[in-house]
Amino acid sequence: MYGWAGQRLRVNLSNGEITKEPLSYEYRRKWMGGRGFNSEVIYNEQPANIDPFDPEARVCFGVGPMSGTAAPSTGRVTVSAKSPLSGGHGDANMGGHWGAEVKYAGYDQIVVQGRAKKPVYLWIDDDKVEIRDASHLWGKYPREADQMIKEELGDEDIHIMLIGPAGENMVRFACCFNDVWRAAGRTGTGGVIGSKNLKGIATRGSGTVKIADPKKMMDVCDGLRQKMKTDVMKEGLYEYGSLVLINVANRDGWFPWKNFQEGAHPLANNMSGETHAATVLKHREGCFACPICCGRFTQIKEGKYAGEEFGGPEYEHAVPTGPRCGILEDANDIWHNARLTNDYGMDGIECGGTIAAAMEWYEKGLITTKETGGLELEWGNEEVVETLIRMIGKREGFGNILAEGADRAADKLGLGEKGHYYTITTRGLTLPGDDPRGLGFGYGLSFAVGTRGGCDHLRSLCCMELSGALYPGLNTKLLGDERANRPVTTVGKPYMVYYEENQKTTTDCLNVCCFTTHWSYAVQTQDQVDYLNATTGLDFTEEEFQEVGERVYNLERAYWNRLMSGAREDTVPERFLKEPMPQGVDYQTNVGATFPLNDMLKKYYRYRDWDPKTGFASAKKLKALGLENVAKDLEPLRAKYLSEAEKKKKKWYC
Amino acid sequence: MANRKVLVFNNEVCTGCRSCVVGCSLYHDGECGKVVSRVAVVRNERFGESFVVGCDGCTDAPCVAVCPTGACAMDVTAGIAKINADKCIGCKECAMVCPFGAINMHYKTGKAFKCDLCEGREQGPVCADWCPSGAITYQNVEVAFKIKRREKLTEKLQAAKIGEEV
Repeated sequence: MYGWAGQRLRVNLSNGEITKEPLSYEYRRKWMGGRGFNSEVIYNEQPANIDPFDPEARVCFGVGPMSGTAAPSTGRVTVSAKSPLSGGHGDANMGGHWGAEVKYAGYDQIVVQGRAKKPVYLWIDDDKVEIRDASHLWGKYPREADQMIKEELGDEDIHIMLIGPAGENMVRFACCFNDVWRAAGRTGTGGVIGSKNLKGIATRGSGTVKIADPKKMMDVCDGLRQKMKTDVMKEGLYEYGSLVLINVANRDGWFPWKNFQEGAHPLANNMSGETHAATVLKHREGCFACPICCGRFTQIKEGKYAGEEFGGPEYEHAVPTGPRCGILEDANDIWHNARLTNDYGMDGIECGGTIAAAMEWYEKGLITTKETGGLELEWGNEEVVETLIRMIGKREGFGNILAEGADRAADKLGLGEKGHYYTITTRGLTLPGDDPRGLGFGYGLSFAVGTRGGCDHLRSLCCMELSGALYPGLNTKLLGDERANRPVTTVGKPYMVYYEENQKTTTDCLNVCCFTTHWSYAVQTQDQVDYLNATTGLDFTEEEFQEVGERVYNLERAYWNRLMSGAREDTVPERFLKEPMPQGVDYQTNVGATFPLNDMLKKYYRYRDWDPKTGFASAKKLKALGLENVAKDLEPLRAKYLSEAEKKKKKWYC
Repeated sequence: MANRKVLVFNNEVCTGCRSCVVGCSLYHDGECGKVVSRVAVVRNERFGESFVVGCDGCTDAPCVAVCPTGACAMDVTAGIAKINADKCIGCKECAMVCPFGAINMHYKTGKAFKCDLCEGREQGPVCADWCPSGAITYQNVEVAFKIKRREKLTEKLQAAKIGEEV
């Protein structure tokens, strides 16, 4: 078989049953791979309202037809489960080399269900799959466990997916890693893995991915790699990693200072990619087959954390436990916090966002030292943040409450609407460090409608509005309107988000990194279709390519609809709608701006063919996408969603 | 000799991305995988270290010296040892004797295979062509050495802070 491995590995940890199922041609064509396979399993194999920590809840690891091939950046893996944090559809995506290894071992997807009686890890040695004892690994940081497993199995070249102590303790925003440092951060899949008593999956793959038309594939990849070499966005990412965004964010006023109270800070350059590269950068790191290599390896050289080494940081990873909590004076504190969230195995965005919300509750007097167990949650208090990260990871004291995520913590503390005002979340998931008032209105719209808990930078990743100007003609070609190039405008944005969401979803189904397609636009949709066809020998068209994304996206959306989450929940945190961006230090572009969500939502629904009242997809649309069963599922729920009883419920999460 | 081009490996800057690996395997075998690549990347994720291993193009090549059938022979024009699969008996002697581990046995044929500098490829070896960090470069031997020498001098000057503007 070309492209795909053609096989799904299913592991039931309750009874130790391991099965391999073939994936039919129709199935592969319909769902493509990675995120598509995963979303299909998550939707169809479990009841929508299952407890995410229930043994029968599924957690899926999917790779796509392009994984392990020579196309640019094919090392991604999609990890999906019902999110313990948002309560809805959850998935996350990580780089590294494990994805390619899974493919080389001969699998397109690994589905884990059940709960082992004691801690275990999975050892996949090509077609030999074994459940092994992990009692000695329980409680270990990923960097320790990785080494121990490699020594135990006697092979340093294997690649391992792991969770940290936070995952074991079922922190609601725990994540999983591969290659020690590459995290599938969001939506709390690590807790689901931990609830199954699964520490990790070690993998050795000694197979290859067969290519239908090697000559054409070589031509396509050659062309793309030449293009990447001189790509302007690639340059910045290679030199400075995603931290290159710090100075840009600060300049344009979307730097999330103190839980988004302000959009810039004079000290931002302390943690910029430029400063990082000049001070603590040890190596540049590359995920599998990547021409960009935006990964960093950091070695702290000075201060009390001197000598600490870790993989990272990233912009989104470092900002929340840094400036979002008011820390910016000493960048080493920020690097240390980022490393600490890695060690415990938590989503840095959610962890920092939750602590930042707690700090604002404290500032506004909603909580006092009585609730926090004596901790004074002052902005910028590095020691308190450090302590809280540890307490959350271990679920101790006040940390045990915050480990529930910002919105659940607000409810546990009984803070009511006021408390939720300061949790910068949509559908229970914390927003990354991008302020839509300054970053771009397309970005903001995708925070409102995204399918993994609404608020995410990796749903549409419509960087076209930011970097579009660097690729003249791109917006006209794709969207028919060059004016969409400007970030702070609503012109063209609804269609841009619609287009980019579909495009990005298929990209996730191929499991190709979106930095080649959505940050840098060196690889465009037609190029992706070209390498997909050269690899698989099939005849996808650009329209079909987009349709796969649209199908998967609507399926994920339906997961939320089944949980009575629809149009009313399509919003961004009130702060962005109500509070005008305050006068900043050295930025002017968006002072006084709020985020004009409603202007764009209606148009967006029209492109999607979603009912503006309910936010449910029309039955016609679902059927056209081949989602007949979904149309049937949603039919009785439309009226229910509009009932008075449902209207009264305020759903911060499901 | 002066015009001979060689692969130069600089592990200081290797990011471990394996772009070289997928390119090499696709170009030579028409499939993608580590097991069919002529260049290999070994990594230590814990400490973020990566190391690229490929044929360094020995002049007095041990792989040629040990080959019992003459399958592994020096291509004088290209300046690299090449393996003739038809003559190879798969004894693994060359793979064992290579000081770098740059020779592998093919999973389909059981015969030895190694770098041939992408014979016939216009743009030169694909690994160097696709390397995003400059860890693998394809250079004229003399130029490579010149750069190497200059590097040391530059380092020395920098260490002594000579040439920096006051």
